Amino acid sequence: MDVTLNDANPQHDSTQHYEVLQELGDCYNTMGNYPLAQEYYEKAVTLAPDEPGPYVGLGVIALQKNSLDDAETAFRVACRLDHHCIKAYAGLGITAQQKTDYKRAFDMYLKCLDLDSDNLIALLGLFQASCEMGSFADITHYLEVYLDMHPGDTSVMFPLASLYMKDGRFEKSKQVLLDLLTLDENHKDAIDLLEEVEHSLAQTKQNSPKEKKCVSGS
Amino acid sequence: MTKNNDTKAGPVVSVMIPTFNRPQYLYHAVASVLRQSYRPLQVIVINDGGVDVGDIVSSFRDPRLMLIDRRENRGKAYSLNEALARAEGKYVAYLDDDDIYYPNHIETLVHALESETDCQVAYSDFYKTYCRELSDGSRQVLSKVVEVSRDFDRFFMLHFNHVLHVCLMHRRDLIERTGPYNEQLNVLIDWDMTRRLVFFSNFYHVREITGEYYHPMGECDRISVQRRKDKQNYLRNVLTIRTTCPPKPWEKIQDMSIIFVADRLNKQAGETIRSLWQHTFVPYKLYLPMPESDFHRLNTDMPNLIFEPVDPHSSQDQRIDAVLERCEDEYIAIVPDGFPIENVWIEGALYALINSPLDHQGFELKGSTDSLWAAVVKKEDLRHARKTYPHLPVRESLKAAGVALRHPEFKEMPFQFDNLLHQAQSAEKDGNWSEAARIFESIADHYQNEVWMTRLAAKAFFHAGERERAAELSRKVNQQWPTVDTLLLEAKLKRQAKDFNSALKLLTSAEQILSGPDALAYHHTNLSTQDSACKRI
Repeated sequence: MDVTLNDANPQHDSTQHYEVLQELGDCYNTMGNYPLAQEYYEKAVTLAPDEPGPYVGLGVIALQKNSLDDAETAFRVACRLDHHCIKAYAGLGITAQQKTDYKRAFDMYLKCLDLDSDNLIALLGLFQASCEMGSFADITHYLEVYLDMHPGDTSVMFPLASLYMKDGRFEKSKQVLLDLLTLDENHKDAIDLLEEVEHSLAQTKQNSPKEKKCVSGS
Repeated sequence: MTKNNDTKAGPVVSVMIPTFNRPQYLYHAVASVLRQSYRPLQVIVINDGGVDVGDIVSSFRDPRLMLIDRRENRGKAYSLNEALARAEGKYVAYLDDDDIYYPNHIETLVHALESETDCQVAYSDFYKTYCRELSDGSRQVLSKVVEVSRDFDRFFMLHFNHVLHVCLMHRRDLIERTGPYNEQLNVLIDWDMTRRLVFFSNFYHVREITGEYYHPMGECDRISVQRRKDKQNYLRNVLTIRTTCPPKPWEKIQDMSIIFVADRLNKQAGETIRSLWQHTFVPYKLYLPMPESDFHRLNTDMPNLIFEPVDPHSSQDQRIDAVLERCEDEYIAIVPDGFPIENVWIEGALYALINSPLDHQGFELKGSTDSLWAAVVKKEDLRHARKTYPHLPVRESLKAAGVALRHPEFKEMPFQFDNLLHQAQSAEKDGNWSEAARIFESIADHYQNEVWMTRLAAKAFFHAGERERAAELSRKVNQQWPTVDTLLLEAKLKRQAKDFNSALKLLTSAEQILSGPDALAYHHTNLSTQDSACKRI
């Protein structure tokens, strides 16, 4: 113990007030009280103008109000403040998707997943954007990675099974659907898709013993 | 705490507010005192040669308020002594010109001193308020943190301060025992006084937050902070404080005599004495039984030095015997020339001896060996041993007299709380949050300071991802002693658990503390509307 090192506790906690305001904003936002949420986010901005959090919150509120331009501006500010702000990229993806700019939405979701392969919003957004564009080049990989980390997440199992189906990988699709139905036996969409997959499998077996040849061009 | 609602009657408290060139904050400091729920106050503002604050003080038009308006800058210690000379209260409290009391501060401490304890000194907890100073003179509150909420620890107070002056109240007549503020010091003036107060009274810790002291982000302009940057000057002040003791008798501390045994006052002996001076924080007198020819080589600047001329041909034991008759103190340490001296070198053994439940114990110092033997014993034990077995060497005579000599065990050593706290903070720094949390919990269970340590444990568990334990502990703390930190922590956990209503309740409480009526907000308009025509007191 050396008193010449005279700061007993040198930690400087300078973000506490900002955190309280941000949390208040997030709470009200989640509860749907957007005017109060906005008020707290704006207060948070004055305390910590370099933090992306309040801008993400303001972007979410704008999205709820369908003010897509305002939402995009807010999310862009957040991205500029923090190039690794996952929520801001997800927000930009949702905004672009709602503007029917699926290409941009796809890019934003992809950027988000590059930063956080765990992000469910981006994952499902990517899937939806892919569906709109009819392009599934990269998405299967992200869904597989996510499911490896979150086995049993039925909200992702179904899109993945759909993608396997579209890709002609019927056996894999069937397996995922069976797993899904073990977890949620009343999943109507899964039941329907499984029926479709089994039908395709039956047809494949009739036409050729090699699944790959049958599905080319499907 | 149950409080007396009749706050009109009661002993007078003198509150002293030294100020120097911070008129922009002084108004709020004074206002916070005048709006205390406890009314019998004498408030003394001392302008230490700074800009004119007469208008600010007179604007309150309160007969309890007095201004000592001095043109010359003489420093904080001088200012406090000047105020003490005019103080009339039974108790004395302190406030810096940029800090504030909450309205219950004085009442809380008076109540503690008058009815809860026989202590003559009490202290509460304060928020350390981190602020950003804006160009218009206002201060934006960034956080409010209770950095230290330590239960009174006399041994630690001898080593360093753990009670801020702004949190403190004590009987005014104690100053007659401690002596005035030391005007030779230019830093750590507050600790010097609290250190002297521990010689006469226990301190009562009221675990309640009753005010705020501010800390601007970035470069701090506080004089005390600036002066600490000069390490040599700082260390000089530390040594002066540690080697200065108030006049005896002391009710709460027993003195120690260190008998330093060396053949001659040569270079090595000089080094050992210097090292001893630098590393000893308990009160002591240093006895030097040496030939008279060495006397002139003595550094007379060293305090507490007692020279005992001895025959140059006398043995070390004879020298100890020669000086032993003069030693008046309860404890005696025997230290040979060349003994290795480092931090807490003698205090470990002394602490073990003071707290030993057994009689006739002696504790060897850290680093003591057969060839370089050093120990602390009770004076009476040593005298008895020397009287009974004068022909034996000192160590052997003690053994023969039935004094058990040994090294202290770990559990007998001082500063275990501090060592564990340091371990936990290091673990936090390294990101080992689980380990930190467990250490904090263990401290809370075994070393007092339970609420403070539980608060730190809750935070560490949260960072470690152990949410359930974090929730349990933060809830426990908030039921007893909520702070912004723990309210925020519990709110985060509630929100994650989707209990938004509870989260909002906790967050609203936190926000009220952060920007409530006692927040350090300063507005020029407040001052400009003051009646500038008020007469100076």
